[in-house]
Amino acid sequence: MSTKLGQERGARLRAAMEQAGLDLMVVTGNAWRSDYLRYVLDVTPMEGQAVAFVTANDAWLMVETPAEAERIAAEQPGLNVAWHADLLARVRKALDAARPERTGLAPAHSTPALLACSAAGAGMRASTALLDDLMVRKTAAEADRVEEAVRLADEGYEIFRAAARVGRKEFELVGELEAWLRTQGCPENFMIMGSGGKEVRTMRPPGERRLAAGDLVTTELTPCLDGYYAQICRTLVLGDPTREQLDAYQVYLDALEAGIAAVKPGNTHGDVARAQNDVFRRHGLGEYVTSKYTRVRGHGMGLYVDGPHVLEDVDLVLEPDMTLVVHPNTYHPVAGYIVLGDTVRVTAGGCKVLTRTPRELRSAPAVSA
Amino acid sequence: MRRGLMSWSREELPASVLDERVARLRAGMERDGLAAVLVYTSFAEPAAVHWLSNFTPYWSEAMLLVLPAEAPILLASLTPRVHGWIREVSHLGEVVSAPRLAQGALEMLAGKGVRSGSRIGVVGLDSLPAAVAGPLMKGWGTASVVDAGPLFTALRQPCGKEELALANRALAIGLAAVAGVPGDVRNTSELAAAIEASARAAGAEEVLHRVAPDLSRAGALRRLEGEFPLGPTYALELSVAYKGHWVRLGGSHARGARPAGWDAVEAWVGESLSRLAETGADGLAAMPARQSRWSLESCVGVQPLTLARTHEQEFVHLPPGSLAVFSAHAALDGGGHWYHSAPLVLGGGGLRGQVLGG
Repeated sequence: MSTKLGQERGARLRAAMEQAGLDLMVVTGNAWRSDYLRYVLDVTPMEGQAVAFVTANDAWLMVETPAEAERIAAEQPGLNVAWHADLLARVRKALDAARPERTGLAPAHSTPALLACSAAGAGMRASTALLDDLMVRKTAAEADRVEEAVRLADEGYEIFRAAARVGRKEFELVGELEAWLRTQGCPENFMIMGSGGKEVRTMRPPGERRLAAGDLVTTELTPCLDGYYAQICRTLVLGDPTREQLDAYQVYLDALEAGIAAVKPGNTHGDVARAQNDVFRRHGLGEYVTSKYTRVRGHGMGLYVDGPHVLEDVDLVLEPDMTLVVHPNTYHPVAGYIVLGDTVRVTAGGCKVLTRTPRELRSAPAVSA
Repeated sequence: MRRGLMSWSREELPASVLDERVARLRAGMERDGLAAVLVYTSFAEPAAVHWLSNFTPYWSEAMLLVLPAEAPILLASLTPRVHGWIREVSHLGEVVSAPRLAQGALEMLAGKGVRSGSRIGVVGLDSLPAAVAGPLMKGWGTASVVDAGPLFTALRQPCGKEELALANRALAIGLAAVAGVPGDVRNTSELAAAIEASARAAGAEEVLHRVAPDLSRAGALRRLEGEFPLGPTYALELSVAYKGHWVRLGGSHARGARPAGWDAVEAWVGESLSRLAETGADGLAAMPARQSRWSLESCVGVQPLTLARTHEQEFVHLPPGSLAVFSAHAALDGGGHWYHSAPLVLGGGGLRGQVLGG
């Protein structure tokens, strides 16, 4: 991350802390939820728990192992990093010594129980909301980072498409893409996929199934660059698409267009979801956008899945430089599971579609690997 | 998330092995007076649930409920659409959708007739996420929810022959990937790409890299984010998962002439590994280096590897027969740094362990 972006995030955090009357912000994370730590100290834990301490003019980090301490200290010269095998007990002691009304603790969801039970734990929801607000309402520099990650998503999808060949096992296909992503300096990629016909009702991690002629091959590809993620969702056919597949796919094209048209300042996540779902309902497919199938019509993109999902009952108001993926992914009773999604950036007048990969139902040759 | 092959091979890990592990946990529950045990899992803390059921969530989180007299029940935050996949890769009784894990657990406990207020255990209670721990303790009563971590640790090691075979397979995948790195590799991106192409094609569930790009300058192993040029000597550490079984392997690599000090420290690590496999970690000789440190890690809780011992202090006692990883770092007398890491089975108490060979 650039020094300038780090300073910008630090300044926003400290201004928010001052406004909230906080002298100390304690932020926890691990390899599963590293986004809050990433925001406050640009740290990504690989193993174990990590806890950041941020004050008006200082910051330090505590981790569980010497390997993690040495790694992070090397990656972040100037950051004070200490390790303790009994990390949580040590942090709990520090929290007990702090003034709870002036101490923030976050995130409320994943902070370890021993810390959440401290007096500072009572304010976890407010502290988490403070950080969520900073992370969802991005600066232009942060949205620029998401744009850079979209380039990787677009290029990565072409690698995926080229690697999709009859006879190949799903995990071999994903392995080829992951190796390519490493050549691009990309450390992380969230990815699930599906392959087959009407019997496929979702995506999941790659398995040992071999791709077959006529398969719909779906993927949700989410590379990370400088901590910021971008997502692309696409479906391809191994061989020529059938009339039924093309007709089914048109609904998703229309839904994506409708969803993106609803992305503008002042509209809500609910508006974006409704615009997509209305297309399905007009085609008599309303059942397939309920929780019985897939109801999430997108989500924020940033240091993680930002903020609440794109659902009809979510009233998060869109603002310029928010970034999100719009994806009407769900099961179609004629064609099977279809995915299609673009990452977009909210602008003053509407939105900029960042994803450049063509949206049409593309095919890959049905030839053996 | 996990990016590679996640599956369950019944040949490599028979259901009977998982049943026997659950039976050992139940015996401990009875000794400790626990009516049930809950075990949380996410991909940051997947190890305990995987050991009991072969399940690891690729995303989101879940809890395993172990009761005295029925197959373990998985409460999953994951969408019900992937329950079929969960059943493919896991050995479980019921799989229940539980977007709110604590509430799901409380309802399941009540539904299974567990008496309200009876003692239940949670493996890794201190690190249990607040969103789960809070409602669970409020709903069941804080005093009745106890840490089952020590109970679990006491039965987790020594490892069985199936676990050892799977660890050997993970090691073989890692060693083959390292052996396939081109001799003219220039930077960390090329290095990581070569490793991943090999390991993932061989069925690795996950590969995590840490690299010290230039040992003549620094020995710290860094996460690969962005690209770093490789110096004349570099260190590579791989953490490889194969079907949920993790090993760590690492070494120092010279792209030209080997530094003079390497022979002595390599001899030391060879002797140390032999000693660890024969008698355990007590009394290891000092490393012939200006500065050095070593560590032993093992799977004893919710994380794939937990720090058990360093050259200075023991944190968790590992019994003979434990599957562990020995790692050593040195700043050499003649300048430069050196690193090595290898999995082994600890010996001691008349039991002879082994250094894993892949």
